[in-house]
Amino acid sequence: MTMILILALVTGAILFGIGVYGALSQTNLVMIMMGVELMLAGAMVNLVAFWRFLHPEAYSGQMFVLVVMTVMALEMAVGFGVAIARFRAKGSVEMEEAEDLKG
Amino acid sequence: MTVQMIFLAFFGGAAVWFGVVVFRTHSMVRSALALLFSQTAIGAMFLVMQAEFLGVLQIMMMATEMSIMAIFMVMFMMDPGGLGGMDMSHQKRFSIGAGVSAAVVAIAVALLSDWGPAAEQVVDAEAQTRALGMELLGRSMMIFETAGITILTAMIAATAVAIPVQNLSSKDDKEASE
Repeated sequence: MTMILILALVTGAILFGIGVYGALSQTNLVMIMMGVELMLAGAMVNLVAFWRFLHPEAYSGQMFVLVVMTVMALEMAVGFGVAIARFRAKGSVEMEEAEDLKG
Repeated sequence: MTVQMIFLAFFGGAAVWFGVVVFRTHSMVRSALALLFSQTAIGAMFLVMQAEFLGVLQIMMMATEMSIMAIFMVMFMMDPGGLGGMDMSHQKRFSIGAGVSAAVVAIAVALLSDWGPAAEQVVDAEAQTRALGMELLGRSMMIFETAGITILTAMIAATAVAIPVQNLSSKDDKEASE
C-alpha cells in the first residue's frame, strides 16, 4: 500500500522539477509564472498524498492544500498586475530586458 | 497493483507529460492549454485519492485561471502563435541541472523515508466535506481568515500596480497654463 504513496510523491517531485526548470529557463514573465504554478502543483500532490495515505483523519492536510491554491491564485493576480505595469512602461515582459530592476 | 494505483499512475503520467509540453511548444496558446491539461490531470489525481472536494475545486479553479493566462499570453508575447520559432529561454544547462537535482532529491527522500503503514480507508465525500468545513471554521479559522484578507490585499495591490501612473506635476502645469 505504501507503493501508491511513493508513486504520488514521485509524481509530485517530477512536477516540482519541471517547474524549477521552467521558472529558471524562461525569459518571459508569464512563462516563469507557469513554472511556479507547476512547482506549487507538485507540492499540492504531495500534500494530498500525505493526507490520504498517512493521516486521513487530520483535515489540516486538506486545509494546507486550500492555502496553496490561494497562493496560486494570488501569484497569478499580482504577477499579471506587474506584467501590465511592465508592459505599459517598457512595451515588453521579457526578463532579459529588465536589468534595470536589479537596483 | 490496485485499480486506484493504475488510475493514479495514468493521471500522474498525463500531468508530467503535459507539464513537459508547456515548455517544449513554441505556441503560447498550446502552452497555456498544456498547463490546463496538466492541472486538470492533477485534479483527477486528487479524485483518485478520494479528496473529491479538492479535486473538483482544482479542476474548476485551473480551468478559469488558465483561460485568463492564455488571454494574457496572447496579449503580451512577441510571437504568441509560435510561427516564428523564437527561442524564449536562457541558461538552459543550469536550469536542467537545477530541475533534475530538485526532482532527484525529492524522489530520494520519498524512496528512502520510512513512511509506515498507509491508511486503507477514508470516510465518504459527504463526511469529508463536513469535517473540512468544521476544520475551516474551527481550529484553522485564523488561517482561513488570513487567506481571505491576503486575497483582498492582493486584489487591491494588483489593481493599484496595473493602473497607469498619472504625472501630477505635468497635469498641474497644464491646468496653470490654461
